[in-house]
Amino acid sequence: MSPVTLALVATLAPAVAAVLLLVVSPLRHRGAPAAWLTLAATVTSLGAAIALLVARLGGAPDARATTSWIEQAGRPLAEVGVLIDGVSLVMLLIVCLVALCVQLFSVAYMHDEPPKAFGRYFALHALFLFSMNVVVVSPNLLQLFFGWELVGLSSYLLIGFYFARPSAAQAAVKAFWMTKLADMGFLFGLLVLFVSTGSFEWTSAPSAAVATWVTGLLFVAVVGKSAQFPLHVWLPDAMEGPTPVSALLHAATMVAAGVFLVVRADPLFALAPGTREVMLWVGSVTAVFAAGLALVQRDLKKVLAFSTCSQLGYMVAALGAGQAFAGFFHLGTHAFFKALLFLAAGSVIHAVHSNAIDDMGGLRKKLPLTTGAFVIGALSLAGVPGFAGFFSKDLVLSSLEGKASWVPWAMLLFAAFLTAFYMGRVVIKVFWGEPGARAEHAHEGNLAMTGPLVVLAVPSLASGVLGGWLATQTSAEYHLHLGLTPVLATVMSLAGLGAAVVVFGRGGKAPLTAVLERLDTFSLVDRAWAGGYRLGLLGVSALAGWVDRYLIDGLMNFAGWAALEGGTSARRLQTGLVRDYALMVVVGVLALVLIGVLR
Amino acid sequence: MTLTSCILLASAVMAIGVYGVVTRRQAVAMLLSVELMANSANIVFASFAHFRGGPSAQVFVLFALALTVAEVAIGLALVMLLYRRHGDTSLALASEARR
Amino acid sequence: MTFDPGFTAVALVMIVSALFVVRARHLIHAALWLGVTLLATAVLYAQLNAPFLAGVQVLTYVGGLLTLMIFGVMVTRRHEGLDAAAESDGKDRGFIFATALFVILAVVTWTSAPVIASPAKVATTAELARALLDEYLIAFEALSLLLLAAIVGAVVLVRRRDAVPGAAADTPALPATPEVNP
Repeated sequence: MSPVTLALVATLAPAVAAVLLLVVSPLRHRGAPAAWLTLAATVTSLGAAIALLVARLGGAPDARATTSWIEQAGRPLAEVGVLIDGVSLVMLLIVCLVALCVQLFSVAYMHDEPPKAFGRYFALHALFLFSMNVVVVSPNLLQLFFGWELVGLSSYLLIGFYFARPSAAQAAVKAFWMTKLADMGFLFGLLVLFVSTGSFEWTSAPSAAVATWVTGLLFVAVVGKSAQFPLHVWLPDAMEGPTPVSALLHAATMVAAGVFLVVRADPLFALAPGTREVMLWVGSVTAVFAAGLALVQRDLKKVLAFSTCSQLGYMVAALGAGQAFAGFFHLGTHAFFKALLFLAAGSVIHAVHSNAIDDMGGLRKKLPLTTGAFVIGALSLAGVPGFAGFFSKDLVLSSLEGKASWVPWAMLLFAAFLTAFYMGRVVIKVFWGEPGARAEHAHEGNLAMTGPLVVLAVPSLASGVLGGWLATQTSAEYHLHLGLTPVLATVMSLAGLGAAVVVFGRGGKAPLTAVLERLDTFSLVDRAWAGGYRLGLLGVSALAGWVDRYLIDGLMNFAGWAALEGGTSARRLQTGLVRDYALMVVVGVLALVLIGVLR
Repeated sequence: MTLTSCILLASAVMAIGVYGVVTRRQAVAMLLSVELMANSANIVFASFAHFRGGPSAQVFVLFALALTVAEVAIGLALVMLLYRRHGDTSLALASEARR
Repeated sequence: MTFDPGFTAVALVMIVSALFVVRARHLIHAALWLGVTLLATAVLYAQLNAPFLAGVQVLTYVGGLLTLMIFGVMVTRRHEGLDAAAESDGKDRGFIFATALFVILAVVTWTSAPVIASPAKVATTAELARALLDEYLIAFEALSLLLLAAIVGAVVLVRRRDAVPGAAADTPALPATPEVNP
């Protein structure tokens, strides 16, 4: 099959599953068939992606096929289609592989759900995979936007999966609001791009000023989708969704769509150094800020959520430094080890029926395999040499060398320390130490649960060595060099781990815990958004109310009053005297005659 | 005698009728003035019949005569009614809309 | 315009009598002056080669309608018969509007394209009858219906309400009788 056909298969297989599950409700309501159908679709997608990879390794070139979608004046105004090049192929592989692992894991994790909810869950997964693949293979920004909105919808639906729980419903709405707010940027960016260049291609080269506008607006969407400061607030709340959902959408793939967008639109961003500068700082600040908050979370998933924010900050910073490949590489490795971490966390949560770190502890003996998986993920995330995360994080840090007087570089080095520190804290608290109250009866899940952990552990360990290949696939330069940065990064991560052992091994607390906890519970950014929202909404409402009450109603009242007054005045015309009426008739006749004469 | 002169005469009678309608306050007097106006219209018809030929215009005069008679019959009936109610035929008394 | 003594005389009589119609203080005088106007109109019809019209004018208008008018005046008369006494309020504007109407009509008539006076042959009564009962038959019949309706309407209007049993309650508070008349 041609690459285009394969790409179409990879994209549309989950769509078929999703539509089938939507239309044929018995499939969905009985649960298990939905899972099988979605798994089959995902396997098909993954198979197509692997076939694409094999073809590419055999020397197949980039493939691109589009069809005109909206025509205007004989030429396509917008196109849809597929584009298979290094970036989209790698992304497709990552998405399908992680999705398959997560879905397999879900079969065990969601086993206790009622069949209807179980079926709905997998239908949404199919929808998500389709949406994500639309994003990945899209040949232009317009199609990417549609996929972007679709993944946002899937995210909303999956966060609110337990919609009967108020907190989940609120979290879903919050995620939707925040990302939609940011998506306005995407939409306006598209409009600006189209108005100025007449196309939705990222290769269309507008002027520098337009490029700054477009990329700036696109970056707003990236900030929302990839949970960057200050729009990151939805991601921790999104942990209300089922844990596998968090692993797939809110760690590995969907939140990385923002980074993917920037990688895709790199030609545009290259024209806008101003936007890149902003990205550099936003990414760095997010990396440090979120890492700090991850240090004090008591909910296992929220630690990982803030960690995701922080790692996305790394990627954005690398993109801001103009090293799209570094960001993309980190995206890839992060997808594996963060999915692994989340699934391992899901395994833990499934075992102890609680999210709270305090309920866990000493699980090392009860859940050996989960422990191993989590530790591998944690070490990879911490950037310990040899693990996947080390290579990509090193690349990100190297790409920042010398940028903006080394400040972002220093910030990210510090964030690397924090990362190792908070991951060390989680590992020690969850798997070592005294067993918590709920940890007594914990046991490993079945094969569907452990299998994905093993599968994901491999790339979490080893995908770092693929950097060179990935670079050739995306025609970027990559060479592992032993300079100051890798050494410092290694020192930082080992120091973080060591500090964690020293501090938390004895049951201590991190320094500044009180401050950070206050910061977390006070949640300034949340409040700022809520306040801004209230101010905006209530302000607009008040204004609208005023307009309605005094202008519109006033107009109405004036109309009524005027009619009354006019009637009262006009009543005087109605004297009731026939003479006066006759006079008026004469006046009318005179007027008519005059009109006839003067015309 | 020309058509113009006939129409001017009719206009004068019409204007006088209008003056009467507007100034008279007795209902019967108003009816008389209305008769003047109708008469002037008939004069115009007859003039055109004469100067432009054909019997049609004269037929219209006949119709107009009949209409006028009907109008006067109804008008006088109303005057009678008015008189019976108010003992007077001043139309100011009939201005019940003012109250 | 050539001077036409017959037409001038008729026009003068008509205008003067019409002025008396609207200015006469006694209603009965006004009605009689209207008779003069209508007779002058009949003469004008004769001059306009419309003898049948002239006859009908005399018969219907002067003979029928004027009699009806005088009858109405007599029935509702006040013995003083004065009407003009209290009507100075509308005189000025009545004059202004009437004059304006006349001026406008006159100007329009004068400035219109001059009508080539082409006195047609006399429309005989037979022709008139043919037109009336052939070409305009439907209008003629409709008119007869209208006259019938007018007669019935007049009778209904003038009929004494209190002659109908139970109808007296309709107008209890009104001075419905001629006795109120001083």
